[in-house]
Amino acid sequence: MTRLTIALGVALALGAQSAALAQARPDFSGTWRLNQAKSSRSAVGNTPDIPFPSQIEVKQSATDVSVLSTSVRQQPISAVYKLDGSKVTVQAPEGISETGEARVDGGKLVVTSRRSFSSPAGDIVVEFKEIWSLDGNALTIEKTRTQSGESSTQKAVYDKV
Amino acid sequence: MRGILAFATISLGLLLATASLQAHHSFSATYDGNKPITLRGTIVKMGWQNPHAHLYVDVKNADGKVVTWEVESAGPTTLMKQGLRKEDFVGAEVVIKGFLAKDGTPTVNASTFTLVESKKEFVNDEKTP
Repeated sequence: MTRLTIALGVALALGAQSAALAQARPDFSGTWRLNQAKSSRSAVGNTPDIPFPSQIEVKQSATDVSVLSTSVRQQPISAVYKLDGSKVTVQAPEGISETGEARVDGGKLVVTSRRSFSSPAGDIVVEFKEIWSLDGNALTIEKTRTQSGESSTQKAVYDKV
Repeated sequence: MRGILAFATISLGLLLATASLQAHHSFSATYDGNKPITLRGTIVKMGWQNPHAHLYVDVKNADGKVVTWEVESAGPTTLMKQGLRKEDFVGAEVVIKGFLAKDGTPTVNASTFTLVESKKEFVNDEKTP
């Protein structure tokens, strides 16, 4: 009886641990396409307030998540983020430098990045913070852009292809 | 004579249609969606032409040099519906949020611009992808 109780206790503990891990590490893998109807009005269309890619391809492993972002007639941006939150270099189009980091926080993926490029107004620095969350086959990204002391946040919804 | 007149009319129509199409270009063809930019400056001139109103804004760089930027916005009708009046403009200080032109010139497509004194914000409300 005691052995049975111990075995049941161990099984329950292991089950609870794996359930907690599954909740802590949601899997964002897949190809995601922007759903304009479900996204903020200022996140889509001809003149978005914050740039959101029209499609995102995500591959996730236990240690990292790779993200390829593409938009119509725009150069793609890709990155392989370490899920331990360490800083990585983002593969950005020529003329743009970007670094970023990602971490899982309470079932959400938080990606922060810092982009810089030159312009006729001098060197420009933009900071982005993205909070990713999953709901079935829908990926929601809440993105904040901070630049020159001004911040704004928009939300985009992606459908799994 | 009628034939020449008809030919001239059709040619003129095609010419105007082409010019209108060129003016009403898509965002992605001209602007870099990966290069968001925020500018603060003084409006020195306003162009009220369709399909896009254009602001010309003097912006001081970090080194003190003033550069005049061309800022493409929504059409005049859209801006006037949002409460903009011609007298609001020249000499006003403005904050522009938009995207840099792909060709590297001081040209920007404004998502929004805000008149600093009145805090009135105007949105480029043309949502055709």
